[in-house]
Amino acid sequence: MRVQAIDHAAMLPLYLAAAAAVLALFAGRFAKGASMTGLAAAAAAAVWVGLGPDRATFAVGDWHSYVADDAAMGAAALFAALAVLVAALSGRQAGEYWFLLTASAASGVALAGARDLITLTVAVETLTLPLYVLVARPGRDGAEAGTVFLIASVTASATALMGSALLYAATGTVHLDGLAAALPAADPGLTAAGAALLLAGLAFKLAAAPLHAWAPLVLDRAPLPVAAYLASASKLGGAVAVTWVVHFGLSGTASAGVAVAVLSVASIAVGNLGALVQRRTVPLLAWSGIAHAGYALAPLAVVATAAGREHAGAAASAAFAYAVFFVLLEAGAFAALTAVRPETGALFASDGRRTPRADLASGGPQGSVLKTDAPISTDAAIDADAARGAITARPGAAASHAGHRSPGGAVAELTGLWKSAPLPAAVLLFAVIGLAGLPPALAGTFAKVAVLEVLASSAVWLAVVVAAGAVLGLAYYLPLARTVLTGRAGPAPRRHAVALVLAGLALLAVSLAPQLVLDFTALSR
Amino acid sequence: MLVLAAALPAAGAFAVWGLRRRPSVHWIGAGAAALGFAAVALLPLERGSGAWVSAGGKLSGAWWHQVSVEWAPSLHLEFSLAVDGVSWTLALLTALLGVLCCVHNAVGAEQRAADLLGADRAASASLQVPAGSFETGGPSPAARRAAGVPAGGGAPPGDGASGPVQDPPGSVETGGPLPAAAPVHGVPSGAGGEGSDGDRWQSPTLTALLLAVQAAATLVFLADNLVLFFIAFEAVLLPMWAIIHRFGDPAARRRAAAKFALFTVAGSLLMATGLFVAIADTGTADLGAIIVGGGVDDDASLLVFALLALGFAVKAPLWPLHSWLPDAHTAAPTVGSVLLAGVLLKLGTYGLIRVAGGLAPDGAETAAPVLAVLASLGILVAGLVCLRLPELKRLIAYSSVGHMGFVVLAFAAGTEAGIRAALFGNLAHGLVTPLLFFLAGALKARTHTGSLGALGGLRLAAPALAGLLGFAALASLGLPGLAGFWGEAFTVYAAAERGGAWLVPAAAAAFGAFLAAAYLLRMLRRVSHGPVAPAVIGVGDVSAAEAAVWAPLVAGTLLLGLVPGPLLTLFSEGLL
Repeated sequence: MRVQAIDHAAMLPLYLAAAAAVLALFAGRFAKGASMTGLAAAAAAAVWVGLGPDRATFAVGDWHSYVADDAAMGAAALFAALAVLVAALSGRQAGEYWFLLTASAASGVALAGARDLITLTVAVETLTLPLYVLVARPGRDGAEAGTVFLIASVTASATALMGSALLYAATGTVHLDGLAAALPAADPGLTAAGAALLLAGLAFKLAAAPLHAWAPLVLDRAPLPVAAYLASASKLGGAVAVTWVVHFGLSGTASAGVAVAVLSVASIAVGNLGALVQRRTVPLLAWSGIAHAGYALAPLAVVATAAGREHAGAAASAAFAYAVFFVLLEAGAFAALTAVRPETGALFASDGRRTPRADLASGGPQGSVLKTDAPISTDAAIDADAARGAITARPGAAASHAGHRSPGGAVAELTGLWKSAPLPAAVLLFAVIGLAGLPPALAGTFAKVAVLEVLASSAVWLAVVVAAGAVLGLAYYLPLARTVLTGRAGPAPRRHAVALVLAGLALLAVSLAPQLVLDFTALSR
Repeated sequence: MLVLAAALPAAGAFAVWGLRRRPSVHWIGAGAAALGFAAVALLPLERGSGAWVSAGGKLSGAWWHQVSVEWAPSLHLEFSLAVDGVSWTLALLTALLGVLCCVHNAVGAEQRAADLLGADRAASASLQVPAGSFETGGPSPAARRAAGVPAGGGAPPGDGASGPVQDPPGSVETGGPLPAAAPVHGVPSGAGGEGSDGDRWQSPTLTALLLAVQAAATLVFLADNLVLFFIAFEAVLLPMWAIIHRFGDPAARRRAAAKFALFTVAGSLLMATGLFVAIADTGTADLGAIIVGGGVDDDASLLVFALLALGFAVKAPLWPLHSWLPDAHTAAPTVGSVLLAGVLLKLGTYGLIRVAGGLAPDGAETAAPVLAVLASLGILVAGLVCLRLPELKRLIAYSSVGHMGFVVLAFAAGTEAGIRAALFGNLAHGLVTPLLFFLAGALKARTHTGSLGALGGLRLAAPALAGLLGFAALASLGLPGLAGFWGEAFTVYAAAERGGAWLVPAAAAAFGAFLAAAYLLRMLRRVSHGPVAPAVIGVGDVSAAEAAVWAPLVAGTLLLGLVPGPLLTLFSEGLL
């Protein structure tokens, strides 16, 4: 009997991340330290493996299920690093919290190396599963968010699995390399249906239309650190999954390009229009994140045309690079927001473990509630409208619950942040300007340049759509930046300074030396 | 030196912003701008003279200097700067206006500080010492300087302490030239100033933003890499948005700033798409190499040119994409208007001539009739609108649309004379219109109104100011011997030279020049002549500081008007 040889060096980052998760579960009060150290070690290991020669393991013939090349290890390191950032922002939480967070990050590492549909699906599911619990804050709003996320996620999984099944039916293999080889000869109808379903399902993680509507609602109600994770690492997972599938499996399939183009244009339109009417910070970022998902998907659409298929590699690289820049900026924005908002308190604070601080934050009346009651109720109605559209067929559920607190607060509450808390305000401004794609926050500009360069060479109309979306984006990013800059406010809480400084430095580094990101996002077959 | 030209103002911006609590910080800003100006001014030294290269069959000039550093090769991005006669003149203009704006700010802030100091001291002094001591005492020189400078803002005339106390030094020290002006000295120099220009209090930030605009604009003019060009082009937007939004006219600034930002971003992203199509087509982002290589392929040329021209037409602005301009100008503070007119519009025309024309010469040829029609329509529309406009700054802003119409029309004509006329007109507009805006700003600060109906008789109240306004207006309408003439005259000549249907735009442009004369003379008649309007009564005349700020612009206007030859030679050596 032949025994499969496993390249354990290639698996090292995954081992470390998984070990960190297990450790966090049993480490009790040292869980936070264990999870952060383990994830940091995983990130370092990923960088080390990535700097070495490309590795691959779990082979069937020439097709590998798990690959540790530059792109995979870069993504893995980024997953781990983002999770460390989120952990640093989380404050004091129970041991389960750290386990769930670390488990999710570990599956992100696995996702980065996945090269067959089953590994990929399992990784995406494991990435999402812990979040069902994490998004649900105590109380009715949290439960609602958790339920919405669960339903949307299950729908998306079913869709993606159906797509995978159809592709398997068409080609008889689940390896992405095998799909690439077999699809040109396969039944075009089956291929098209499979590709469209698979991509739409995976795009759920990226919060791309049409499976986008969960994002604003869930992000708004989830605790801010979890929202930061959802907006950065989890979205990176979606982007990686879609990019891998399109680049390694479907890059010769025109119908996949058409599907991506539809997803992309719909996301850009829906996301930007949705963001225009938002008055609260987190939904604004969430809706604009939908638009950004559209920008990230746009380069992949070029495989729809013969000319585009010639440089499908460049297109996938651009999509991946955009996603990386975008999640870094999102992480910066959410980190800054987390630092200046009142703490949400412990997630799993049962009666026995409830700390005085958690009591104060989650139970006691807060000053901001009275002040912001009216705008929140109208916005909740807007949100309910938006949510009603696609997923939650429960009209007025949110509106009836007008007094709920959203951890992110209204945009207007950020007034004068520049004066009261310069460091978070600077990071937030940098991130927001970067999301708008403007210098001096060059990270966003480079992302836009990468996407536009690819689109200009093979799909100019899509470049114009992206440009139009970016113009619309400015209409809500600039007022947000203005709110932060102008006016005065009382003292804001100053927390997480180290995490913020590190996040800010990371953003600055990729702004000055974009080649850091562009090197590992350059995809090769 | 190339790097310094852009880096010095940028460093100055950071320095000014970082040190914004220091009292003398404005002069640091002005110093940084001046150093940047010096760096630009020294660029022609040791230039490779006579380095002619063959571009697509015809001879073309070459870069004087070049510097290039890798940045992000996978994005085709290099930090690559280069300069030739065309970009040098514009960079020089940018640096000059940057210096003038910073000095304007510095003088304004100093005068304001002196006012506050003077008012304080006067208030305390009046309790102790008789007024006679002011002849030798501290506040009197400050008060004298204060008299003419506009930055004092709108003080309520009857401001308790400062009015009576500051009168004596005024009448004693400056009683000479303008008896009527003396009693008014107390008004603009009053300590209350929270009027339309009340935000001057924050002006270190304004100086920092001005320097940022200057740095980014210089980078645009010097960029030799298309991606760098795009990034620098975008970098101008945010500081300018902040200038309009933060320091503008309170009534209109939000809307104007938002409109400016959205129009500009739409334009620059379209432009970016065009640039990237060109990069994909030629495989390089080196501007000089593409121009020398004759631009992009024929089949991509029209698309590239259309995208680029659309982007630059927003910035230029070309009718009908101009509507952000009057709003932005009207709302912006004086220095903002000056930079908008003198620098930002130049970005559009420079891009159109150098980048769009250089990357896609065939597309430019094909699209020339469309451009010409739009440009001549722009000239006529701007002229007709200007005839009816009741507001001074808005009128000047609309006249910019007309002037830029001339530039675009000259470029569209495509002949050698046309290109030179376009570049010349561009530069002349960059000298004359900022001067007009400075004057309008000074007038507005003195009278607190820009409405033509409320002004009148400036000739009697402030002869020097009225004289300068007349000079600038005459230069703007293209009087021979002043800078405006050559650009417009050669535009009409270049268009007419093409013959045939091109005579129509030529005639339209000529009629537009006539309209310009009509509306500018109407403006002069309303503002300078006639009986002295109540708002104008007793305004201060041009102060020494103001004269110092405006003198380079006046001198430049005269110089370009009288000796256009060297400049035209510079242009002909340019890489186009």
